[in-house]
Amino acid sequence: MPFRPALYLIYTLPLPLLVVSLLLGPADTVNGNQILTWLTETLFSQAPSASNELVRTIILDVRLPRVILAFLVGAALSVSGNALQAMFRNPLVDPYLLGLSSGSAFGAALALATSWMPLQLSAFSFGIVAVGSSYFLARTRKSVTVISLILSGIIVSGIFTSLLTVVQFLTDPFRLQTIVHWTMGNLHNASWAKLRSAAPGILLAMGWLLLFRWRMNVLAVGEEETRAVGLNPEHQKLFILIPATLAASASVAVAGVIGLVGLVVPHMTRILLGPDNTRSLPASLALGGSFLLLVDDCSRITASFEIPIGIFTTLIGGPFFIFLLRKSRLGWEV
Amino acid sequence: MTHLLEGNHLQFSYGSREILKEVNIQVRQGQLTVILGKNGSGKSTLLKIMAGLLKPESGTLRIMGRDLNRLSLSERAKIIGYLPQFHRPVFPFSVEDVVLTGRASHVKLIPREKDCSIALRALERVGISELRSRPFTELSGGEQQLVMIARVLAQEPKLILLDEPTAHLDFPNQARLLRLLREFVVSELAVVAVLHDPNIAFLHGDRFIFMGNGQIEAWDSSQEPWDADILTRVYGSRVHSIPYRGRALIIPAVDPE
Repeated sequence: MPFRPALYLIYTLPLPLLVVSLLLGPADTVNGNQILTWLTETLFSQAPSASNELVRTIILDVRLPRVILAFLVGAALSVSGNALQAMFRNPLVDPYLLGLSSGSAFGAALALATSWMPLQLSAFSFGIVAVGSSYFLARTRKSVTVISLILSGIIVSGIFTSLLTVVQFLTDPFRLQTIVHWTMGNLHNASWAKLRSAAPGILLAMGWLLLFRWRMNVLAVGEEETRAVGLNPEHQKLFILIPATLAASASVAVAGVIGLVGLVVPHMTRILLGPDNTRSLPASLALGGSFLLLVDDCSRITASFEIPIGIFTTLIGGPFFIFLLRKSRLGWEV
Repeated sequence: MTHLLEGNHLQFSYGSREILKEVNIQVRQGQLTVILGKNGSGKSTLLKIMAGLLKPESGTLRIMGRDLNRLSLSERAKIIGYLPQFHRPVFPFSVEDVVLTGRASHVKLIPREKDCSIALRALERVGISELRSRPFTELSGGEQQLVMIARVLAQEPKLILLDEPTAHLDFPNQARLLRLLREFVVSELAVVAVLHDPNIAFLHGDRFIFMGNGQIEAWDSSQEPWDADILTRVYGSRVHSIPYRGRALIIPAVDPE
Protein backbone atom coordinates (compact mmCIF):
# COMPACT_ATOMS: atom_id res chain seq x y z
CA MET A 1 0.00 0.00 0.00
CA PRO A 2 1.20 3.51 -0.79
CA PHE A 3 3.38 5.31 1.64
CA ARG A 4 1.45 8.57 1.95
CA PRO A 5 4.22 11.06 2.81
CA ALA A 6 6.09 9.90 -0.29
CA LEU A 7 3.03 10.58 -2.41
CA TYR A 8 2.74 14.16 -1.13
CA LEU A 9 6.47 14.75 -1.47
CA ILE A 10 6.52 13.56 -5.08
CA TYR A 11 3.71 15.87 -6.15
CA THR A 12 4.59 18.96 -4.10
CA LEU A 13 8.30 18.90 -4.87
CA PRO A 14 8.25 20.20 -8.48
CA LEU A 15 6.86 23.70 -7.90
CA PRO A 16 9.21 24.97 -5.17
CA LEU A 17 12.06 23.27 -6.99
CA LEU A 18 11.21 25.14 -10.19
CA VAL A 19 11.21 28.46 -8.31
CA VAL A 20 14.45 27.76 -6.46
CA SER A 21 16.11 26.62 -9.68
CA LEU A 22 15.36 30.01 -11.23
CA LEU A 23 17.40 31.67 -8.50
CA LEU A 24 20.40 29.42 -8.93
CA GLY A 25 23.31 29.99 -11.23
CA PRO A 26 26.91 31.13 -11.31
CA ALA A 27 26.70 33.32 -8.21
CA ASP A 28 28.42 36.50 -9.37
CA THR A 29 26.16 37.09 -12.37
CA VAL A 30 22.84 37.58 -10.68
CA ASN A 31 22.35 37.49 -6.93
CA GLY A 32 19.25 37.33 -4.78
CA ASN A 33 19.09 41.07 -4.10
CA GLN A 34 19.13 41.91 -7.75
CA ILE A 35 16.36 39.47 -8.44
CA LEU A 36 14.34 40.96 -5.61
CA THR A 37 14.68 44.53 -6.93
CA TRP A 38 13.84 43.35 -10.40
CA LEU A 39 10.75 41.58 -9.09
CA THR A 40 9.52 44.57 -7.11
CA GLU A 41 10.21 46.90 -10.02
CA THR A 42 8.31 44.73 -12.44
CA LEU A 43 5.46 44.13 -10.03
CA PHE A 44 5.07 47.80 -9.22
CA SER A 45 5.62 48.77 -12.84
CA GLN A 46 8.49 51.17 -12.58
CA ALA A 47 10.58 51.96 -15.60
CA PRO A 48 13.16 49.19 -15.96
CA SER A 49 16.73 50.18 -15.36
CA ALA A 50 19.59 48.81 -17.44
CA SER A 51 20.83 46.39 -14.78
CA ASN A 52 17.35 45.06 -14.31
CA GLU A 53 17.11 44.47 -18.01
CA LEU A 54 20.05 42.09 -17.61
CA VAL A 55 18.39 40.33 -14.69
CA ARG A 56 15.22 40.01 -16.71
CA THR A 57 17.08 38.46 -19.62
CA ILE A 58 18.93 36.01 -17.43
CA ILE A 59 15.85 34.91 -15.52
CA LEU A 60 13.30 34.83 -18.33
CA ASP A 61 15.34 34.03 -21.42
CA VAL A 62 18.17 31.92 -20.03
CA ARG A 63 17.08 30.22 -16.82
CA LEU A 64 13.34 29.84 -17.29
CA PRO A 65 13.52 27.90 -20.57
CA ARG A 66 16.35 25.81 -19.18
CA VAL A 67 14.49 24.97 -16.00
CA ILE A 68 11.34 24.05 -17.88
CA LEU A 69 13.31 22.04 -20.41
CA ALA A 70 15.18 20.16 -17.67
CA PHE A 71 11.89 19.28 -16.02
CA LEU A 72 10.26 18.21 -19.27
CA VAL A 73 13.20 16.08 -20.40
CA GLY A 74 13.50 14.39 -17.01
CA ALA A 75 9.76 13.74 -16.93
CA ALA A 76 9.73 12.42 -20.52
CA LEU A 77 12.63 10.02 -20.00
CA SER A 78 11.15 8.70 -16.74
CA VAL A 79 7.62 8.23 -18.04
CA SER A 80 9.02 6.58 -21.15
CA GLY A 81 11.24 4.29 -19.05
CA ASN A 82 8.41 3.39 -16.72
CA ALA A 83 6.09 2.55 -19.61
CA LEU A 84 8.68 0.44 -21.42
CA GLN A 85 9.61 -1.47 -18.26
CA ALA A 86 5.95 -2.35 -17.80
CA MET A 87 5.58 -3.29 -21.47
CA PHE A 88 8.72 -5.44 -21.56
CA ARG A 89 7.99 -6.86 -18.13
CA ASN A 90 11.63 -6.24 -17.35
CA PRO A 91 13.08 -3.89 -14.76
CA LEU A 92 16.33 -3.29 -16.61
CA VAL A 93 14.76 -1.62 -19.60
CA ASP A 94 15.32 2.05 -20.28
CA PRO A 95 14.18 4.27 -23.16
CA TYR A 96 17.51 3.70 -24.92
CA LEU A 97 17.15 -0.07 -25.06
CA LEU A 98 15.90 -0.28 -28.61
CA GLY A 99 18.73 1.76 -30.09
CA LEU A 100 17.18 5.16 -29.59
CA SER A 101 20.24 6.81 -28.07
CA SER A 102 22.75 5.47 -30.59
CA GLY A 103 20.38 6.26 -33.45
CA SER A 104 19.92 9.80 -32.22
CA ALA A 105 23.62 10.24 -31.55
CA PHE A 106 24.37 9.12 -35.09
CA GLY A 107 21.71 11.49 -36.45
CA ALA A 108 23.15 14.37 -34.46
CA ALA A 109 26.70 13.55 -35.52
CA LEU A 110 25.67 13.37 -39.15
CA ALA A 111 23.97 16.75 -38.90
CA LEU A 112 26.96 18.30 -37.12
CA ALA A 113 29.45 16.85 -39.61
CA THR A 114 27.59 17.52 -42.84
CA SER A 115 24.83 20.02 -42.00
CA TRP A 116 22.50 17.98 -44.20
CA MET A 117 19.57 18.58 -41.90
CA PRO A 118 18.92 20.62 -38.78
CA LEU A 119 20.58 18.92 -35.80
CA GLN A 120 17.47 18.31 -33.72
CA LEU A 121 15.43 17.02 -36.61
CA SER A 122 18.19 14.66 -37.64
CA ALA A 123 18.68 13.32 -34.09
CA PHE A 124 14.94 12.92 -33.64
CA SER A 125 14.44 11.12 -36.96
CA PHE A 126 17.31 8.70 -36.49
CA GLY A 127 16.12 7.90 -32.97
CA ILE A 128 12.74 6.93 -34.42
CA VAL A 129 14.41 5.06 -37.31
CA ALA A 130 16.51 3.04 -34.84
CA VAL A 131 13.56 2.01 -32.67
CA GLY A 132 11.45 1.35 -35.75
CA SER A 133 14.06 -0.94 -37.25
CA SER A 134 14.45 -2.80 -33.95
CA TYR A 135 10.71 -3.32 -33.90
CA PHE A 136 10.38 -4.52 -37.47
CA LEU A 137 13.47 -6.72 -37.26
CA ALA A 138 11.94 -8.41 -34.23
CA ARG A 139 8.59 -8.89 -35.92
CA THR A 140 7.89 -12.42 -37.08
CA ARG A 141 4.51 -13.79 -38.08
CA LYS A 142 2.70 -10.64 -37.00
CA SER A 143 3.94 -10.82 -33.45
CA VAL A 144 6.84 -9.37 -31.55
CA THR A 145 8.23 -11.18 -28.56
CA VAL A 146 10.03 -9.36 -25.81
CA ILE A 147 13.21 -11.37 -26.23
CA SER A 148 13.45 -10.78 -29.98
CA LEU A 149 12.86 -7.06 -29.42
CA ILE A 150 15.66 -6.84 -26.91
CA LEU A 151 18.01 -8.78 -29.18
CA SER A 152 17.23 -6.70 -32.25
CA GLY A 153 17.61 -3.58 -30.09
CA ILE A 154 21.14 -4.66 -29.21
CA ILE A 155 21.97 -5.27 -32.88
CA VAL A 156 20.52 -1.96 -34.05
CA SER A 157 22.32 -0.14 -31.22
CA GLY A 158 25.58 -1.72 -32.27
CA ILE A 159 25.13 -0.77 -35.91
CA PHE A 160 24.35 2.85 -35.15
CA THR A 161 27.23 3.07 -32.70
CA SER A 162 29.56 1.84 -35.45
CA LEU A 163 28.11 4.34 -37.91
CA LEU A 164 28.62 7.06 -35.31
CA THR A 165 32.26 6.04 -34.98
CA VAL A 166 32.64 6.22 -38.77
CA VAL A 167 31.29 9.78 -38.79
CA GLN A 168 33.55 10.71 -35.87
CA PHE A 169 36.53 9.18 -37.60
CA LEU A 170 35.95 11.08 -40.84
CA THR A 171 35.10 14.46 -39.36
CA ASP A 172 37.51 17.26 -38.39
CA PRO A 173 38.64 17.66 -34.76
CA PHE A 174 36.59 20.79 -34.05
CA ARG A 175 33.35 19.16 -35.15
CA LEU A 176 34.38 15.96 -33.42
CA GLN A 177 34.48 17.84 -30.13
CA THR A 178 30.95 19.15 -30.70
CA ILE A 179 29.74 15.65 -31.49
CA VAL A 180 31.30 14.17 -28.36
CA HIS A 181 29.87 16.99 -26.30
CA TRP A 182 26.41 16.42 -27.73
CA THR A 183 26.43 12.72 -26.94
CA MET A 184 27.15 13.49 -23.29
CA GLY A 185 23.89 15.36 -22.93
CA ASN A 186 23.52 19.05 -22.40
CA LEU A 187 20.98 21.55 -21.20
CA HIS A 188 23.16 24.65 -21.09
CA ASN A 189 22.16 25.95 -24.48
CA ALA A 190 18.48 25.65 -23.70
CA SER A 191 16.34 28.36 -25.26
CA TRP A 192 12.72 29.12 -25.86
CA ALA A 193 13.19 27.97 -29.45
CA LYS A 194 14.48 24.57 -28.32
CA LEU A 195 11.70 24.30 -25.79
CA ARG A 196 9.12 25.13 -28.45
CA SER A 197 10.48 22.43 -30.72
CA ALA A 198 10.54 19.71 -28.05
CA ALA A 199 7.61 20.48 -25.77
CA PRO A 200 4.66 19.60 -28.06
CA GLY A 201 6.00 16.13 -28.84
CA ILE A 202 6.94 15.44 -25.23
CA LEU A 203 3.63 16.66 -23.82
CA LEU A 204 1.59 14.81 -26.41
CA ALA A 205 3.46 11.54 -25.82
CA MET A 206 3.30 11.84 -22.03
CA GLY A 207 -0.44 12.56 -22.18
CA TRP A 208 -0.92 9.53 -24.39
CA LEU A 209 1.04 7.27 -22.05
CA LEU A 210 -0.87 8.58 -19.03
CA LEU A 211 -4.15 7.70 -20.73
CA PHE A 212 -2.94 4.15 -21.36
CA ARG A 213 -1.37 3.64 -17.95
CA TRP A 214 -3.86 1.04 -16.73
CA ARG A 215 -3.44 -0.96 -19.92
CA MET A 216 0.20 -1.39 -18.87
CA ASN A 217 -1.05 -3.30 -15.81
CA VAL A 218 -3.05 -5.59 -18.06
CA LEU A 219 -0.11 -6.16 -20.37
CA ALA A 220 2.20 -6.79 -17.43
CA VAL A 221 0.18 -9.83 -16.34
CA GLY A 222 1.14 -11.69 -19.53
CA GLU A 223 0.47 -11.72 -23.25
CA GLU A 224 -1.91 -14.64 -23.46
CA GLU A 225 -3.63 -13.35 -20.34
CA THR A 226 -4.05 -9.98 -22.06
CA ARG A 227 -5.61 -11.57 -25.11
CA ALA A 228 -7.89 -13.64 -22.88
CA VAL A 229 -9.38 -10.53 -21.29
CA GLY A 230 -10.06 -8.94 -24.66
CA LEU A 231 -7.07 -6.79 -25.61
CA ASN A 232 -4.71 -7.54 -28.46
CA PRO A 233 -1.23 -7.50 -26.88
CA GLU A 234 0.45 -6.62 -30.20
CA HIS A 235 -1.65 -3.47 -30.52
CA GLN A 236 -1.19 -2.58 -26.88
CA LYS A 237 2.59 -2.90 -27.19
CA LEU A 238 2.58 -0.52 -30.14
CA PHE A 239 0.32 1.92 -28.28
CA ILE A 240 3.01 2.10 -25.62
CA LEU A 241 6.12 1.83 -27.80
CA ILE A 242 5.15 4.69 -30.12
CA PRO A 243 4.55 7.42 -27.53
CA ALA A 244 7.44 6.18 -25.36
CA THR A 245 9.76 6.50 -28.36
CA LEU A 246 8.31 9.87 -29.29
CA ALA A 247 8.85 11.27 -25.80
CA ALA A 248 12.39 9.94 -25.50
CA SER A 249 13.44 10.94 -29.04
CA ALA A 250 12.13 14.47 -28.59
CA SER A 251 14.10 14.68 -25.34
CA VAL A 252 17.29 13.28 -26.77
CA ALA A 253 17.03 15.51 -29.84
CA VAL A 254 16.94 18.61 -27.68
CA ALA A 255 19.18 17.63 -24.77
CA GLY A 256 21.47 14.87 -26.04
CA VAL A 257 21.90 11.48 -24.43
CA ILE A 258 21.10 11.78 -20.74
CA GLY A 259 21.63 8.38 -19.19
CA LEU A 260 20.15 6.53 -16.23
CA VAL A 261 17.18 8.86 -15.58
CA GLY A 262 14.78 6.61 -17.46
CA LEU A 263 16.05 3.61 -15.52
CA VAL A 264 16.45 5.00 -12.00
CA VAL A 265 13.37 7.17 -11.58
CA PRO A 266 10.75 4.49 -12.37
CA HIS A 267 12.48 2.25 -9.83
CA MET A 268 12.30 4.98 -7.23
CA THR A 269 8.58 5.51 -7.81
CA ARG A 270 7.88 1.80 -7.66
CA ILE A 271 9.79 1.47 -4.41
CA LEU A 272 7.76 4.35 -2.97
CA LEU A 273 4.34 3.62 -4.43
CA GLY A 274 4.30 0.00 -5.63
CA PRO A 275 4.12 -1.43 -9.15
CA ASP A 276 0.60 -0.27 -10.06
CA ASN A 277 1.19 1.85 -13.16
CA THR A 278 -1.89 3.97 -12.60
CA ARG A 279 0.00 5.38 -9.61
CA SER A 280 3.62 5.03 -10.67
CA LEU A 281 3.36 6.62 -14.11
CA PRO A 282 2.17 10.09 -13.02
CA ALA A 283 4.59 9.86 -10.11
CA SER A 284 7.45 9.08 -12.50
CA LEU A 285 6.53 12.21 -14.41
CA ALA A 286 6.71 14.45 -11.34
CA LEU A 287 9.72 12.74 -9.80
CA GLY A 288 11.62 12.47 -13.08
CA GLY A 289 11.19 16.17 -13.74
CA SER A 290 12.31 17.06 -10.23
CA PHE A 291 15.24 14.67 -10.41
CA LEU A 292 16.72 16.10 -13.61
CA LEU A 293 16.05 19.64 -12.41
CA LEU A 294 17.91 18.91 -9.20
CA VAL A 295 20.80 17.31 -11.04
CA ASP A 296 20.94 20.26 -13.42
CA ASP A 297 20.99 22.65 -10.44
CA CYS A 298 23.92 20.71 -9.01
CA SER A 299 25.77 20.93 -12.30
CA ARG A 300 25.13 24.68 -12.46
CA ILE A 301 26.28 25.58 -8.97
CA THR A 302 29.19 23.23 -8.42
CA ALA A 303 31.35 24.43 -11.26
CA SER A 304 31.82 27.76 -13.00
CA PHE A 305 32.06 25.90 -16.30
CA GLU A 306 29.35 23.56 -17.53
CA ILE A 307 29.76 19.86 -16.96
CA PRO A 308 27.51 18.00 -19.40
CA ILE A 309 24.43 16.89 -17.53
CA GLY A 310 24.58 13.35 -18.88
CA ILE A 311 27.77 12.86 -16.89
CA PHE A 312 26.12 14.22 -13.77
CA THR A 313 23.03 12.03 -13.99
CA THR A 314 25.27 9.01 -14.25
CA LEU A 315 27.58 10.11 -11.45
CA ILE A 316 24.69 10.90 -9.09
CA GLY A 317 22.16 8.38 -10.35
CA GLY A 318 24.51 5.41 -10.53
CA PRO A 319 25.56 5.20 -6.89
CA PHE A 320 22.07 6.18 -5.77
CA PHE A 321 20.62 3.35 -7.82
CA ILE A 322 23.05 0.86 -6.31
CA PHE A 323 22.08 2.16 -2.87
CA LEU A 324 18.40 1.60 -3.66
CA LEU A 325 19.06 -1.86 -5.01
CA ARG A 326 20.90 -2.89 -1.89
CA LYS A 327 18.61 -1.21 0.58
CA SER A 328 15.24 -2.41 -0.59
CA ARG A 329 14.06 -5.55 -2.17
CA LEU A 330 12.81 -4.15 -5.42
CA GLY A 331 10.06 -6.72 -5.40
CA TRP A 332 10.92 -7.88 -8.89
CA GLU A 333 10.86 -11.51 -9.73
CA VAL A 334 13.56 -11.51 -12.34
CA MET B 1 -31.05 -27.49 -22.87
CA THR B 2 -29.53 -24.92 -25.18
CA HIS B 3 -26.02 -25.17 -26.47
CA LEU B 4 -23.93 -22.23 -25.36
CA LEU B 5 -21.10 -23.18 -27.67
CA GLU B 6 -21.41 -25.37 -30.69
CA GLY B 7 -18.62 -26.47 -33.00
CA ASN B 8 -19.22 -28.41 -36.20
CA HIS B 9 -16.76 -30.19 -38.48
CA LEU B 10 -13.78 -28.61 -36.76
CA GLN B 11 -10.47 -29.35 -38.38
CA PHE B 12 -7.05 -28.38 -37.04
CA SER B 13 -3.49 -29.57 -37.51
CA TYR B 14 0.02 -28.57 -36.54
CA GLY B 15 1.95 -29.08 -39.77
CA SER B 16 1.23 -32.63 -40.86
CA ARG B 17 0.00 -33.73 -37.45
CA GLU B 18 -3.78 -33.72 -37.38
CA ILE B 19 -5.18 -32.69 -34.00
CA LEU B 20 -8.84 -32.46 -34.90
CA LYS B 21 -10.51 -34.31 -37.77
CA GLU B 22 -14.10 -33.28 -38.46
CA VAL B 23 -14.86 -32.82 -34.79
CA ASN B 24 -18.26 -31.79 -33.46
CA ILE B 25 -18.56 -30.39 -29.97
CA GLN B 26 -21.27 -28.88 -27.78
CA VAL B 27 -21.02 -27.07 -24.49
CA ARG B 28 -24.14 -26.61 -22.40
CA GLN B 29 -25.00 -24.00 -19.85
CA GLY B 30 -24.90 -25.11 -16.23
CA GLN B 31 -22.54 -28.00 -16.87
CA LEU B 32 -18.99 -28.79 -15.95
CA THR B 33 -17.40 -30.31 -19.02
CA VAL B 34 -14.06 -32.01 -18.61
CA ILE B 35 -11.62 -32.68 -21.42
CA LEU B 36 -9.51 -35.79 -20.87
CA GLY B 37 -6.91 -37.50 -22.97
CA LYS B 38 -3.31 -38.53 -23.19
CA ASN B 39 -0.45 -36.04 -23.40
CA GLY B 40 -0.29 -34.46 -26.82
CA SER B 41 -3.80 -35.51 -27.77
CA GLY B 42 -4.68 -31.87 -28.33
CA LYS B 43 -6.63 -31.00 -25.18
CA SER B 44 -5.13 -27.53 -24.85
CA THR B 45 -5.48 -26.95 -28.59
CA LEU B 46 -9.17 -27.75 -28.47
CA LEU B 47 -9.57 -25.39 -25.52
CA LYS B 48 -7.76 -22.60 -27.35
CA ILE B 49 -9.96 -23.12 -30.39
CA MET B 50 -13.01 -22.90 -28.15
CA ALA B 51 -11.57 -19.69 -26.68
CA GLY B 52 -11.07 -18.26 -30.16
CA LEU B 53 -7.32 -17.96 -29.61
CA LEU B 54 -6.63 -20.44 -32.39
CA LYS B 55 -8.60 -20.50 -35.61
CA PRO B 56 -9.79 -23.90 -36.85
CA GLU B 57 -8.77 -24.63 -40.44
CA SER B 58 -12.33 -25.44 -41.31
CA GLY B 59 -15.63 -25.90 -39.58
CA THR B 60 -17.90 -23.52 -37.73
CA LEU B 61 -17.86 -22.44 -34.13
CA ARG B 62 -20.85 -20.59 -32.73
CA ILE B 63 -21.18 -19.05 -29.30
CA MET B 64 -24.70 -18.06 -28.27
CA GLY B 65 -25.66 -18.35 -31.92
CA ARG B 66 -22.91 -16.03 -33.17
CA ASP B 67 -19.86 -16.94 -35.23
CA LEU B 68 -17.01 -17.01 -32.69
CA ASN B 69 -14.28 -16.04 -35.11
CA ARG B 70 -16.21 -12.98 -36.28
CA LEU B 71 -16.40 -11.53 -32.77
CA SER B 72 -13.84 -8.92 -31.76
CA LEU B 73 -11.43 -9.79 -28.98
CA SER B 74 -13.27 -7.65 -26.48
CA GLU B 75 -16.75 -8.91 -27.49
CA ARG B 76 -15.44 -12.43 -27.09
CA ALA B 77 -13.87 -11.66 -23.72
CA LYS B 78 -17.27 -10.58 -22.40
CA ILE B 79 -18.65 -14.05 -23.14
CA ILE B 80 -15.66 -16.37 -22.74
CA GLY B 81 -13.21 -16.33 -19.87
CA TYR B 82 -10.05 -18.29 -20.62
CA LEU B 83 -7.36 -19.19 -18.14
CA PRO B 84 -4.11 -20.21 -19.87
CA GLN B 85 -1.92 -22.98 -18.56
CA PHE B 86 1.14 -21.06 -17.48
CA HIS B 87 1.40 -17.64 -15.99
CA ARG B 88 4.71 -16.28 -14.90
CA PRO B 89 4.13 -13.17 -12.86
CA VAL B 90 6.88 -10.56 -12.95
CA PHE B 91 5.59 -7.54 -11.07
CA PRO B 92 4.57 -7.69 -7.42
CA PHE B 93 1.13 -6.29 -8.24
CA SER B 94 -1.38 -6.52 -5.45
CA VAL B 95 -3.92 -9.33 -5.82
CA GLU B 96 -6.64 -6.73 -6.27
CA ASP B 97 -4.79 -5.11 -9.18
CA VAL B 98 -4.30 -8.48 -10.88
CA VAL B 99 -7.99 -9.36 -10.57
CA LEU B 100 -8.93 -5.90 -11.83
CA THR B 101 -7.11 -6.56 -15.12
CA GLY B 102 -9.87 -9.09 -15.83
CA ARG B 103 -12.12 -6.09 -16.44
CA ALA B 104 -10.13 -5.00 -19.52
CA SER B 105 -12.91 -5.69 -22.02
CA HIS B 106 -15.35 -3.60 -19.97
CA VAL B 107 -12.96 -0.73 -19.20
CA LYS B 108 -12.19 2.08 -21.64
CA LEU B 109 -8.91 3.36 -20.25
CA ILE B 110 -9.07 3.58 -16.48
CA PRO B 111 -11.24 1.25 -14.36
CA ARG B 112 -14.17 2.81 -12.52
CA GLU B 113 -15.48 2.28 -9.01
CA LYS B 114 -17.88 -0.33 -10.40
CA ASP B 115 -15.02 -2.37 -11.87
CA CYS B 116 -13.18 -2.35 -8.56
CA SER B 117 -16.24 -3.58 -6.69
CA ILE B 118 -16.77 -6.34 -9.25
CA ALA B 119 -13.14 -7.37 -8.76
CA LEU B 120 -13.64 -7.43 -5.00
CA ARG B 121 -16.80 -9.49 -5.37
CA ALA B 122 -14.91 -11.97 -7.54
CA LEU B 123 -12.31 -12.32 -4.78
CA GLU B 124 -15.11 -12.87 -2.27
CA ARG B 125 -16.73 -15.50 -4.44
CA VAL B 126 -13.49 -17.42 -4.71
CA GLY B 127 -13.08 -17.00 -0.96
CA ILE B 128 -9.77 -15.15 -0.90
CA SER B 129 -10.82 -11.61 0.07
CA GLU B 130 -8.17 -11.61 2.77
CA LEU B 131 -5.45 -11.75 0.10
CA ARG B 132 -6.58 -8.59 -1.68
CA SER B 133 -3.65 -6.35 -0.85
CA ARG B 134 -0.95 -9.04 -0.82
CA PRO B 135 1.66 -8.95 -3.59
CA PHE B 136 0.74 -11.58 -6.17
CA THR B 137 4.32 -12.76 -6.53
CA GLU B 138 4.54 -13.71 -2.85
CA LEU B 139 1.56 -16.09 -2.92
CA SER B 140 1.76 -19.86 -3.09
CA GLY B 141 1.00 -21.60 -6.37
CA GLY B 142 -2.46 -22.57 -5.14
CA GLU B 143 -3.29 -19.06 -4.06
CA GLN B 144 -2.06 -17.63 -7.37
CA GLN B 145 -4.31 -20.05 -9.24
CA LEU B 146 -7.31 -18.95 -7.16
CA VAL B 147 -6.46 -15.31 -7.89
CA MET B 148 -6.35 -16.05 -11.62
CA ILE B 149 -9.76 -17.73 -11.31
CA ALA B 150 -11.09 -14.63 -9.58
CA ARG B 151 -9.67 -12.65 -12.50
CA VAL B 152 -11.66 -14.77 -14.94
CA LEU B 153 -14.79 -14.24 -12.81
CA ALA B 154 -14.24 -10.48 -12.82
CA GLN B 155 -14.48 -10.70 -16.57
CA GLU B 156 -18.15 -11.76 -16.07
CA PRO B 157 -18.16 -14.40 -18.81
CA LYS B 158 -20.88 -16.92 -19.63
CA LEU B 159 -18.38 -19.65 -20.39
CA ILE B 160 -15.18 -20.34 -18.47
CA LEU B 161 -12.37 -22.33 -20.09
CA LEU B 162 -9.61 -23.58 -17.82
CA ASP B 163 -6.42 -25.26 -18.98
CA GLU B 164 -5.26 -27.66 -16.28
CA PRO B 165 -6.40 -25.51 -13.38
CA THR B 166 -5.32 -28.15 -10.86
CA ALA B 167 -1.73 -28.40 -12.06
CA HIS B 168 0.74 -27.42 -9.30
CA LEU B 169 -2.03 -27.61 -6.71
CA ASP B 170 -1.85 -29.85 -3.68
CA PHE B 171 -4.66 -32.23 -2.69
CA PRO B 172 -6.83 -29.94 -0.57
CA ASN B 173 -6.44 -27.09 -3.04
CA GLN B 174 -7.49 -29.30 -5.94
CA ALA B 175 -10.63 -30.24 -4.03
CA ARG B 176 -11.28 -26.61 -3.15
CA LEU B 177 -10.94 -25.58 -6.78
CA LEU B 178 -13.29 -28.25 -8.06
CA ARG B 179 -15.90 -27.38 -5.43
CA LEU B 180 -15.62 -23.80 -6.63
CA LEU B 181 -16.16 -24.83 -10.25
CA ARG B 182 -19.23 -26.78 -9.10
CA GLU B 183 -20.60 -23.58 -7.54
CA PHE B 184 -20.07 -21.70 -10.80
CA VAL B 185 -21.95 -24.37 -12.67
CA VAL B 186 -24.83 -24.24 -10.21
CA SER B 187 -25.10 -20.51 -10.89
CA GLU B 188 -25.67 -21.26 -14.58
CA LEU B 189 -22.16 -20.67 -15.89
CA ALA B 190 -20.71 -23.19 -18.26
CA VAL B 191 -17.26 -24.45 -17.31
CA VAL B 192 -14.90 -26.45 -19.51
CA ALA B 193 -11.69 -27.67 -17.92
CA VAL B 194 -8.78 -29.69 -19.20
CA LEU B 195 -7.83 -32.09 -16.41
CA HIS B 196 -5.10 -34.70 -16.16
CA ASP B 197 -6.57 -36.71 -13.34
CA PRO B 198 -9.62 -38.77 -14.37
CA ASN B 199 -10.55 -39.34 -10.72
CA ILE B 200 -11.09 -35.67 -10.01
CA ALA B 201 -12.83 -35.38 -13.35
CA PHE B 202 -15.26 -38.22 -12.72
CA LEU B 203 -16.07 -37.13 -9.18
CA HIS B 204 -17.02 -33.60 -10.18
CA GLY B 205 -17.80 -33.48 -13.91
CA ASP B 206 -21.13 -33.58 -15.74
CA ARG B 207 -19.85 -34.29 -19.19
CA PHE B 208 -16.63 -35.83 -20.42
CA ILE B 209 -14.80 -35.37 -23.66
CA PHE B 210 -12.12 -37.93 -24.47
CA MET B 211 -9.57 -36.90 -27.05
CA GLY B 212 -7.27 -39.06 -29.15
CA ASN B 213 -6.24 -39.63 -32.76
CA GLY B 214 -7.92 -36.44 -33.90
CA GLN B 215 -11.33 -37.69 -32.70
CA ILE B 216 -13.37 -36.88 -29.68
CA GLU B 217 -15.94 -38.89 -27.77
CA ALA B 218 -18.39 -37.11 -25.55
CA TRP B 219 -20.13 -38.83 -22.65
CA ASP B 220 -22.64 -37.66 -20.08
CA SER B 221 -22.27 -38.81 -16.50
CA SER B 222 -25.52 -40.77 -16.93
CA GLN B 223 -23.78 -42.89 -19.56
CA GLU B 224 -21.15 -43.96 -17.00
CA PRO B 225 -18.00 -43.25 -19.01
CA TRP B 226 -15.90 -44.58 -16.13
CA ASP B 227 -16.47 -48.06 -17.44
CA ALA B 228 -13.11 -49.85 -17.43
CA ASP B 229 -13.42 -51.05 -21.02
CA ILE B 230 -14.13 -47.57 -22.37
CA LEU B 231 -11.20 -46.07 -20.49
CA THR B 232 -8.86 -48.86 -21.48
CA ARG B 233 -9.69 -48.08 -25.08
CA VAL B 234 -9.36 -44.31 -24.63
CA TYR B 235 -6.08 -44.38 -22.75
CA GLY B 236 -4.65 -47.31 -24.67
CA SER B 237 -3.60 -49.11 -21.50
CA ARG B 238 -5.57 -51.18 -19.06
CA VAL B 239 -7.31 -49.47 -16.15
CA HIS B 240 -9.49 -50.71 -13.33
CA SER B 241 -12.63 -48.93 -12.32
CA ILE B 242 -13.67 -49.14 -8.66
CA PRO B 243 -17.22 -48.02 -7.85
CA TYR B 244 -17.44 -45.06 -5.47
CA ARG B 245 -20.53 -43.01 -4.56
CA GLY B 246 -22.37 -43.87 -7.74
CA ARG B 247 -19.33 -42.97 -9.81
CA ALA B 248 -15.92 -44.57 -9.91
CA LEU B 249 -12.28 -44.31 -9.01
CA ILE B 250 -9.80 -45.18 -11.69
CA ILE B 251 -6.44 -46.84 -11.23
CA PRO B 252 -4.03 -48.04 -13.88
CA ALA B 253 -3.68 -51.80 -13.98
CA VAL B 254 -0.52 -53.06 -12.27
CA ASP B 255 0.10 -55.81 -14.80
CA PRO B 256 -0.35 -54.64 -18.40
CA GLU B 257 -2.48 -57.54 -19.69
